[in-house]
Amino acid sequence: MDFELYYTEEQEEFRKEVRAWLDANVPPNWKQPADPADITEDMFKVAREFRRKLGEKGWLAPTYPKEYGGGGLSVAHAIIIDEELAERDDIPRVIGDNGLMLFCPAIMVWGTEEQKQRFLPQMLRDGVVTWQGYTEPEAGSDLASLKTRAVRDGNDYIINGEKIFIGADYDVDYIFTLAITNPEAPRHQNIGAFMVPANLPGIKVLRLDLFAWGGQPGKSHVFYEDVRVPATHLIGGETQGWQVTQSSLEVEHGGGGGVVQRHRLLEHVMDYCRETQRNGQPLIKNPDVQQEIVDIFIKSEIGRLLELRNYWMRHARKQGIGYEGSQTSLHRKVTGLEIVAAYQRILGPTALIKDPKWAVHKGAIEVYQREGICTHPGGTIQVQKLIMARRMGISRTKEKAAAFV
Amino acid sequence: MDLSLTETQEMLRTTARDFVERECPTSTALSLDKSETGFSPDIWRKMAELGWVGMILPEAYGGMGSSLTDLAVIYQEMGWAAMPTPLLSSAVLCGLTILEGSTEEQKKQLLPSIAQGERILALALTEPDYGWEPEFVRLTAVAKNDKFVLNGTKLYVPDAHIADQLICVARTSHNTDPRKGITLFLVDKDSPGLSCHTLSGFIGEKVNEVIFDSVEVDRSAVIGEVDKGWPILLPALEKARILLCAYIVGGCQQVWEMTVEYCRSRMQFGVLIGTFQRVQDHVIEIVNEMDAARWTTYEALWKMDEGKPDAARAVLMAKIVASEGYYTACNSSHEVHAGTGVDRNYPLYLHTTKSRAYYDYLGNPLSLRKALGQQLCEG
Repeated sequence: MDFELYYTEEQEEFRKEVRAWLDANVPPNWKQPADPADITEDMFKVAREFRRKLGEKGWLAPTYPKEYGGGGLSVAHAIIIDEELAERDDIPRVIGDNGLMLFCPAIMVWGTEEQKQRFLPQMLRDGVVTWQGYTEPEAGSDLASLKTRAVRDGNDYIINGEKIFIGADYDVDYIFTLAITNPEAPRHQNIGAFMVPANLPGIKVLRLDLFAWGGQPGKSHVFYEDVRVPATHLIGGETQGWQVTQSSLEVEHGGGGGVVQRHRLLEHVMDYCRETQRNGQPLIKNPDVQQEIVDIFIKSEIGRLLELRNYWMRHARKQGIGYEGSQTSLHRKVTGLEIVAAYQRILGPTALIKDPKWAVHKGAIEVYQREGICTHPGGTIQVQKLIMARRMGISRTKEKAAAFV
Repeated sequence: MDLSLTETQEMLRTTARDFVERECPTSTALSLDKSETGFSPDIWRKMAELGWVGMILPEAYGGMGSSLTDLAVIYQEMGWAAMPTPLLSSAVLCGLTILEGSTEEQKKQLLPSIAQGERILALALTEPDYGWEPEFVRLTAVAKNDKFVLNGTKLYVPDAHIADQLICVARTSHNTDPRKGITLFLVDKDSPGLSCHTLSGFIGEKVNEVIFDSVEVDRSAVIGEVDKGWPILLPALEKARILLCAYIVGGCQQVWEMTVEYCRSRMQFGVLIGTFQRVQDHVIEIVNEMDAARWTTYEALWKMDEGKPDAARAVLMAKIVASEGYYTACNSSHEVHAGTGVDRNYPLYLHTTKSRAYYDYLGNPLSLRKALGQQLCEG
């Protein structure tokens, strides 16, 4: 058993290459705001352009095959790129794209060769932004009860309906849209999944006014009015949309795992506690503060280890993900709420303040206080538990993990 | 980065699983728990024959020089079976202490027989004024000519009742630093003045009250040097702590399997109880505690074997998580099992009582969290 990430000499040379490229190519004077809501449209454009450049290098999706626009690199290389990006604070970070993480794995499993050739390079190399068009006003946790309709018309489908709490602000290229294709068929067997170009006539995007949502600059309400989509944009069979969805949800529910090395927010808070006095002594020397920090540390470490385990399971391909994906999401969501309260106990009202004069770490803690409440994106706590029970074989519904790459 | 067991460890695991299923099935675990000593000489002998007893000790002294992770694989299976064993007390706590501090002559005299399971030792550390830190060592050892005279009480000592000898942690002098002035003595169990009484209660390990009433020992019984015993003990304590965590992980695994099985067989209201979401919540609690304990323990084992600088911190964290996890997992399992869970013919209570014993053994979450806090914030 080996928890260390080892790099060969060649890989360390690659790291130097990545670092040098980043030094030369990050947008000059980029200041990532702590609050994603402070990202302007101009900043979004700069971020998109940087993303495109990364894609051109094959570094947006390093492990995907080169023929589809990926980097054709090993997992180790992908981790190196992630590490180098994470080390810097001059990298533009927030783009409302779900395509890389969710739909590329689904298209790899369900797309035709022609579709892979058409869509994957756009997402992996060109840095297009794809939104997840799932949730509707009447279909959240109960996604299968969605109502958006796609009716076949010659070589096209006509889509009518709406999606809510999707995407982000500003620009978008595709909306991966779920729609009912056969209203006569039973639940789960009546849905199609479409890569809908977002600039088609009939698509209207309205911005929502939310106090937080998963680190995005904003969320949108999208209306489809007689939107004509070529049938070649249907991914998988006409009524296979639910299975296609499951492949994307497998990743969204934590099946992908990750390699997190440091708990940066905790480090910043501990620095603050070293530098800040309360009642004549540094906060960090207060035994109650120390216990809050221990609690946050332990919860963060458990989260790190669960992500690592999932990452290993996925890439070692030793066995399919069972309950572990949702377990990791559940842990993150539940402990996130607990940690948010712990920070407030340690810091007091300053944890809630955005004004630079009093905010902790440039307002990052204030953002975290809001974001921590949003345990619902990517599946509520209740949904994660449902999935875990099914995967452990104690539920009425028997369920196995969906295929994803 | 590869989180799988090595081929050797995988073989150890299957061997250990076969062994516990054969030698300590549920019926045996239940009857051992109800027995007076909780000790099976037959199982012990077979473990010694397999080389497991001395595994952690160097080959030069009759052991196998195995890594902590190797031994942990076996511990996890023993914990899964709720199999009682003096292995931790004898070979790990006492064997490693002797290895760390004894003279070459003492090592040659003691370690091979410990490794062969011919001699069982137990560590007498904690006292009525209870704690695992050096300031809680109050039992006195006073020099008298060429002997020392020991006076005091050791409390909650596992395996003292079956041990041939005890390593007694005594205070030989006072110092502003409580870590100084502690001496380790090897004491024969049948020494005049030494009495041992196994305590009864809701505790899944047979623990003892050991009274030292003017017990005399030779100077030669000192392990290491007078007043310098505490540092000798620390490596053994740390290794025992993480191996105990592996045992706990196995226990959590069994509790989870038992509870899932119960959910898939028990019917109420015309359906399997596993279909009730409030019941599912408890099973989810169990699996989450199990995996938190599992992965903090595995990483700590790796850090210890690799000599990583933050290994000590990882062990503290693993013990906190495993102690709290086993305790909570058993509580949740009781929620699911209801009346069946408290039946002493059903194996859940073996884990529940062990979860209570190991909550405190080798350091409880309260004191370990304090130590971890100081390390994180001031270290």
